[in-house]
Amino acid sequence: VADLQAFAPGIYPRSEALVQATRDLDRGRTTQEAVDEQVERDLAAAVEAQQAAGLDLLADGMLRWQDHFRPLLERADGLETGALTRFLDTNTFYRAPKATGEPRLQGPLDERYVAPLPGPRLVTLPSPFALSFGTGVSPKEMAEGVLKPALEGLDAELVVLAEPFLGGQALDELAEGLEALSGGPKLALWLEFGDAKPALEQGAAELPVDGLGIDFYATHLDDVPDGFGKLLLAGVLDARNSLAEEPRELAAFVAKLRERGVEEIALVPNGDLQYVSEPYAREKLARLGKAKTATVEAAA
Amino acid sequence: MKFLTHEIGSLAKPPWLVKTSQGRELDPSDIEQARSWGEKVGVEGHEELVETLERGGADVDELNHWASRYCVRLQESAGLEVIWDGEQPRSEMYAWAIDHSTGFEPRGTVRSFDNKYYSKSAAVGPVGLAEPYHNDEFSFLQSVAKARLKIPITGAYTLAVWSYDEHHTPREGRLGAGYGRKSEIEARRELTLDIARNIIRPNLEALIALGADWIQIDEPGASTEADELDLFVESFNVSVEGLDCMFSTHLCFSDYELFFPAIEGMSECRQYCVGFANYDSRELGTSAEDRPGYEVISKFRDLSYDPILGLGVLDIHTDFVESPELVRDRILHAVEVFGDPARIHVCPDCGLRTRSWDVAYAKLQALVEGAQLAEKAITGAAAATQS
Repeated sequence: VADLQAFAPGIYPRSEALVQATRDLDRGRTTQEAVDEQVERDLAAAVEAQQAAGLDLLADGMLRWQDHFRPLLERADGLETGALTRFLDTNTFYRAPKATGEPRLQGPLDERYVAPLPGPRLVTLPSPFALSFGTGVSPKEMAEGVLKPALEGLDAELVVLAEPFLGGQALDELAEGLEALSGGPKLALWLEFGDAKPALEQGAAELPVDGLGIDFYATHLDDVPDGFGKLLLAGVLDARNSLAEEPRELAAFVAKLRERGVEEIALVPNGDLQYVSEPYAREKLARLGKAKTATVEAAA
Repeated sequence: MKFLTHEIGSLAKPPWLVKTSQGRELDPSDIEQARSWGEKVGVEGHEELVETLERGGADVDELNHWASRYCVRLQESAGLEVIWDGEQPRSEMYAWAIDHSTGFEPRGTVRSFDNKYYSKSAAVGPVGLAEPYHNDEFSFLQSVAKARLKIPITGAYTLAVWSYDEHHTPREGRLGAGYGRKSEIEARRELTLDIARNIIRPNLEALIALGADWIQIDEPGASTEADELDLFVESFNVSVEGLDCMFSTHLCFSDYELFFPAIEGMSECRQYCVGFANYDSRELGTSAEDRPGYEVISKFRDLSYDPILGLGVLDIHTDFVESPELVRDRILHAVEVFGDPARIHVCPDCGLRTRSWDVAYAKLQALVEGAQLAEKAITGAAAATQS
């Protein structure tokens, strides 16, 4: 089962200590240096949790990202932060991207936003469609002007492109955006939090990426197309529920995916883990690791 | 003619309350804050608070009462006609309700946006009310307020949708099974209506018994799930049905189009306080083109039961202080759309908790002044027409 991996893309929750530090920063009760030190402690803890769980690729948890778009909007000409907008049907909000001209990233993201990690890693960025959503700019223009420069120089085994807004729409436009990103690191499109059926019916499995992420708390197993030939990022941790997953059930689900002919599988959350608090995210990561171990042992 | 002006709910807590609650030392600026604001908004006996703070070792409950007095006077001093205490004694609109209820367990802190967070709990069994949790606050404010009181209470749907539900969610069997929205909605319905019947309604009954005549049911989470708006309406109706009080509801930061037609069935709601300024232009003007944030208000106008619109005219997410003229134009536009000034009240978009008192006070003063300018404009126009 060497083709079974596990990792955790997306925004990881901040610890209670970092929550307090950032609150204090906003209220002028602490310094940016103190917050930076706590971010480093959170990063070390997040890495330790992933290593302890035996995850195959490390992620930095995007601890400084205020949402999926912010550092890109702040570093790009032609883009700015727009209205505070509800993220899907959660109680978490983001500043929607707003276009003011031709989008152009001024330079790659620095280590504050892509933190160095002690091992093979992934990086999460917004998908071209998500970044362009509601801006009037095409996914292709966003890919060429913003995401392609962000990818340059990235030392990552995999770049996960988070896509919460797609539904079943605009796959052709998204495909053009993804084409513009080819030639660099391996890419996976992560259809966060939602039923992937409409996108799969429109041909999402044929998009020009190496992997596709599916939320299996919203998507029926039968909706995975026959002959699925990419890396399947199987969303098996429910990042919007505090209930801890049972590793035995996750391992059994891997077996069902195998029965459907899916060969390359990565066990992942169904969206950013920041929708549960840090202790619950850590427990979920541990169970992801146990599920992988249980699958390996069952196969042996 | 007169536009009723009122607050929405929360104000920031003063540093002397926050630090004392956290067991931290006060510094001279905290005590100066108590002194200067006490003078500025006319808090009777504030010297006593200053002495208490200087002496140290203040009791948190006592400071809660002082904070309530300050916020009441702050709003009265700004000129608002219907007020509250900015929820000073409450931990927060969600946590306070959950902490005084049964059947929930804490599940930590989750981000709202940027560096703003909220605590989140899970329903782990049948839910109920430990004790009516706004009575003490209301009774105290009855003893100190000069203006009319309106008490906010977090609504059933918001409490449900902001909680994890470990009680109704199956522990296994959802993965890849097409568990789907239908099952999720059924689970949410059970939790929401249990909260409405067992937690919200007993609170409302207790407040009415104490003399509350205007209760605002806060539902900032109401439009979280576009396909659950009927459930939001049902939970409101279950909460208030047959009770003798003016009930209003507060909606904010949503795609308000989603509420229609569902809220056509919410006829017990006499006023909708809705945030619009966040989406609006800062330029002056009263035409529809000038006021893009208010495009949806005609839908509230057309509700068959003629509710009042609590018109949000202050963007609470920014320190930008709206000019009275901008507030005036937002009101005049709404009057033009509604055709009946009596159906317009004037309020901030939402609670001003994330703003400093300086900013909140300046914004509220601008709101009151803007309402007065609008009154003059309408009165003047009417007089010109008659002559």
